[in-house]
Amino acid sequence: MYQSESVIRNHYNNINDWLDQMTSKVILEKNAEAETHFRNIGITFSTNNETARERIIPFDLIPRIFTYTEWLRLERGVIQRAKALNAFLADIYNQGEIIKANIIPKEIIYKKKSFEPSMFGFSPPRDIYSPIIGIDLVRTGPNDYFVLEDNCRTPSGVSYMLENREIMMRMFPDLFHNNRVTPIDDYPTRLLQTLMSLAPIKCENPEPVCVLLTPGPLNSAYYEHSFLSDQMGIEMVESTDLFVEGKYLYMKTVDGPKRVDVVYRRIDDDFLDPLCFNPQSVIGIPGIMDVYRTGGVNICSAPGAGIADDKAIYIYVPEMIKFYLGEQPILDNVETWNCEKEQELKYVLDNINELVVKEVDGSGGYGMLIGPKSSKSSIDEFKTKLSTNPKGYIAQPLLDLSFSPTLIKNQVEGRRVDLRPFCLIGEQAQLSSGGLTRVAMNEGSFVVNSSQGGGVKDTWVLAE
Amino acid sequence: MLSRTAEYLYWISRYMERAETTARLLDVGYRMSLFPNPSGYNNEWESVLSAAGAIEGYKNKYDTIEQKNVEDYLFFDESNPSSVYNCILNARNNALVVRTSFTPESWLAINKTYQEILNLKEQKFTKSDLPNLTEWTIEQVNLFRGSLSSLLRNDGYNFLFLGLFIERADNSARLLDVKYFVLLPKPQYVGGNIDNMQWSILLRSLSSFRAFRWAYDGNITATKIADFLVLNNNCPRSLSFCIQNIVKHLTNLTCSPEKVGRIYNNLKDLNTKIQEEKIETIVEYGLHQFVTQFIRKISSVDNEIHKEFFN
Repeated sequence: MYQSESVIRNHYNNINDWLDQMTSKVILEKNAEAETHFRNIGITFSTNNETARERIIPFDLIPRIFTYTEWLRLERGVIQRAKALNAFLADIYNQGEIIKANIIPKEIIYKKKSFEPSMFGFSPPRDIYSPIIGIDLVRTGPNDYFVLEDNCRTPSGVSYMLENREIMMRMFPDLFHNNRVTPIDDYPTRLLQTLMSLAPIKCENPEPVCVLLTPGPLNSAYYEHSFLSDQMGIEMVESTDLFVEGKYLYMKTVDGPKRVDVVYRRIDDDFLDPLCFNPQSVIGIPGIMDVYRTGGVNICSAPGAGIADDKAIYIYVPEMIKFYLGEQPILDNVETWNCEKEQELKYVLDNINELVVKEVDGSGGYGMLIGPKSSKSSIDEFKTKLSTNPKGYIAQPLLDLSFSPTLIKNQVEGRRVDLRPFCLIGEQAQLSSGGLTRVAMNEGSFVVNSSQGGGVKDTWVLAE
Repeated sequence: MLSRTAEYLYWISRYMERAETTARLLDVGYRMSLFPNPSGYNNEWESVLSAAGAIEGYKNKYDTIEQKNVEDYLFFDESNPSSVYNCILNARNNALVVRTSFTPESWLAINKTYQEILNLKEQKFTKSDLPNLTEWTIEQVNLFRGSLSSLLRNDGYNFLFLGLFIERADNSARLLDVKYFVLLPKPQYVGGNIDNMQWSILLRSLSSFRAFRWAYDGNITATKIADFLVLNNNCPRSLSFCIQNIVKHLTNLTCSPEKVGRIYNNLKDLNTKIQEEKIETIVEYGLHQFVTQFIRKISSVDNEIHKEFFN
């Protein structure tokens, strides 16, 4: 919000005036109203402890604002990246040009667990492997955006983006009269159009039947699954609702079996098909991979799409953009040291006090070391881990994430934020006009993950 | 519509209906506890427990029948599958899965109820709160039912109402059975003052006390009440009304006409009989037998619905 110590950036002026008018009593009331609203609509976390109340993510009332010009650049950059990631997947599951060109060593691709050998030689509709990509961005200066990571499997959080906006419009209608905020509520429609544009070759239906496949109510993103299927008007199915017969996939309905053309799956590869992946899995649809490979159904995202968001592959995304699109990357990567390489490991060990070390397969802000903020003993612990299993880790500098004004005990304080906008690629590529802003609610914290005390904010993109 | 969705919708309204029945029974029990206890007569809380189908579970847990424990067992107890708390919890868990086949209003009605009962349960209740709790429950169930009026009139709607009327038919019949059979072990009481009080309990627990007065002139007689609760098509809790609505929502289903046909065939004799029969004949033949047969039939229709549509 602030340009320097005390100068407010232009587009935050309205918000600043609005904040000035609010008494702490009103703030308290509105916070309570938001919490009740989120509980009532059920946008909660399931916890493993059944007797405990479901948790809600803390919601901050102050929106984060992007100007039209700021957003334009992000939009171009994210779409560019999403296209390159899909081109990469199409390439490595077919000709492997990028390997032949010696840009990415083949070991780091083919040895990964997230690489799916059964996908080799198969091309999904429109060559789109990952139609919904969430790109995590951080900002370190007025025009300095960095991509922290890509999410090509089943990125979640879009329901928060939509519900945060709903509650803001409901509680503060005047804010939306006085600011030209680009609407985002057409996201579910666009998502459905994207899925429908990815119908499999054997689909004869002009309006393909799409379903959302969920692992069930115990999944922490279950609210999002039901929210999205509701908004799209498609069935939310569990794997027991589906079965394969002949070369097609069907769902069990009260009218008898109904053919399914596109599965927007929100379960992991491992649980898709016990015949193909994990024979121990009790969830999954036996034979679905066979139907998929023979064009009877499309699975979004494609099995094996996860290789594209592997932390070891991340390093090469700028190269991918140049290689497949012939363009210069619009958004930068964070400088990353690949501990698998001996020289880089040495650098990391020597400078570990200044670096953030992450597990290649970790997520949720767990299994990471923030060098400048860690005790000597945990640093030593990580040094041992690095030396014994170097290829399990990468390291990055500690970025000075931008601050966003946040209400902490009724006072406005700066807290660090990141941003996840959602990119859709089907017949066309498009970016949501907004995203999920996560905020580290604890003072001085760099970790925005909701599992570790992170909150969320409404994210505005101002109209031109 | 997914078979599983149909099944969950069906059970959501069964649970909500059951929550209301349990609450009404508690209300009746509470009312009766304020009157002097007729000597030699059954403990009223015991009859409330039998009508709720909870007597066995209760006796496993408690040695004596006491108001405080009955209230807790029927309202909050997690080990009682038909407690108001469990009904709302189950309805809400089902609704979570099928909220896509609902309007947001219906989901909100159920989820708010759930959020509130969690708070109520945390605070538990003091004795004088029971009327508020039962009133609250009935209000919540009415909110839910009201929200259904904005639903699409598709198969989901019909499955919701099938569940509602199957549950109501079963509840009404069981109440009749409890009052007619269990509570009148001594024939000499029939027709006496105590009997009238018993009938008024029955009417209250079926939310029909005032309605009955408007529907029939003159003295309250057992036959009139039986007619009202069994055969009167204007009474929304009568067996006849329930059957009619089961038939209506069954035949309104657009999916699988042959499945609908099979279930209807099983049901149509009972429907014809109940529409044509005179109450005097039923009473003569034996209301208890009639009601038992009715309960059995409803349960077999319920089984068929599960077999045909939910598997």
